[in-house]
Amino acid sequence: MSELRCVLPCNGLDKCAGDLSRRAALELAQSENAALICPVLLNQNRSRYEKVLADANLTVIDGCNTRCASKLAGDLELSINDKVNVSEVAKALEIKLGVDIQESDDNRAVVQAVLAKINSSAADQAESEFIEPEAVEYNSFSHGKFIFKVPQNNYFFNENDCWVTVSGKMARVGVSDYVQQNLSDILYVDPPEIGDEFEQFDDLGSIESSKAVFEIVSPVSGTVVAVNTSLNDAPEQVNESPYEKGWLVEVKLRDFSEDQDLLHDCPAYFEFLQRKVTEIDV
Amino acid sequence: MSESTFMGVERDRIDWSPRIDFTKCNDCMDCVKFCPHQVFDVDENAKPKLSVKNPNNCVVFCRACAKTCGPDAISFPDKPETTKMIKAIRKAEKEAAKNE
Ligand code: SF4
Ligand code: SF4
Repeated sequence: MSELRCVLPCNGLDKCAGDLSRRAALELAQSENAALICPVLLNQNRSRYEKVLADANLTVIDGCNTRCASKLAGDLELSINDKVNVSEVAKALEIKLGVDIQESDDNRAVVQAVLAKINSSAADQAESEFIEPEAVEYNSFSHGKFIFKVPQNNYFFNENDCWVTVSGKMARVGVSDYVQQNLSDILYVDPPEIGDEFEQFDDLGSIESSKAVFEIVSPVSGTVVAVNTSLNDAPEQVNESPYEKGWLVEVKLRDFSEDQDLLHDCPAYFEFLQRKVTEIDV
Repeated sequence: MSESTFMGVERDRIDWSPRIDFTKCNDCMDCVKFCPHQVFDVDENAKPKLSVKNPNNCVVFCRACAKTCGPDAISFPDKPETTKMIKAIRKAEKEAAKNE
């Protein structure tokens, strides 16, 4: 995650709300790894900020509903990562901002609330990041000439042999070792579209080998946020590392506790798979 | 061999298998070639040659053969309904086990 932030405050120097947005920005610039952007200079000479805009996430603080800072960012086609409106924050606190610039407890409270809002949305974003597990430990069993691996914990499976592993509100989905071995050399991965919403057991794209096509039956419900693009050039990663490097889709979960009702944990899937391979005799 | 349960629910209590619209089907048999679970049967002497002979062999929530069907003759039961029903059966069985 990028820790760098740049802050573009409104420049309403003559009014209370503008003054508060300036103060919040100054405080942010002190307490964090953040760079201030002067709206006047940005408007005059954008190149002056090119580097910081490229490296950092942009937070915009508007003073009032004229939203000069947001509009400026919009005109310059800057991508805004987060924005806060001082007047709206004040309204939520039931504090009336006067026109005149003044130092008061109320105004200090508004500045603090603006800062809290910016920091909590940063925390939300951190939570919406998928954190890869350190090292995955496996159990395995053999059947004929095959050896099947199943992780020891933190993965959940549906009976369509697709797995999910969860990190906060995010999760990754892939196929089990069994699918990978059944298909043998995977040649092509057809991922879903980013932004697609799907239900548990909907299909989430497919993978294809010279032997067959396998439809990914989603173990969870949610929204597609990313697909594993490294598989475009190296689909064999699904064979080599079906539970880790060969993940297929990253999703934002809708209601995992509900989904879990129809999923196996690792030991249960291990047993399920053992039964399955003896029954259908791969 | 078919699996006899899905998430602990007997397979024959779950209504999930392909439905063929014979007004669209053109007898290409792609679905039969595709599915590895002996769900379909072909009888050269019958009127529609194709039949869904072993519906309970069909993997619950699989819809793969529908994609191989050019004329789009294959459909499936409503998935959210099926999910709800499976959950209901599981819940009822858990309650029953508790009361024993
Ligand atoms: S793939 Fe479609 S058209 Fe071909 S036999 Fe099956 S149902 Fe009929
Ligand atoms: S849905 Fe899957 S298992 Fe069922 S008949 Fe079609 S291919 Fe076979």
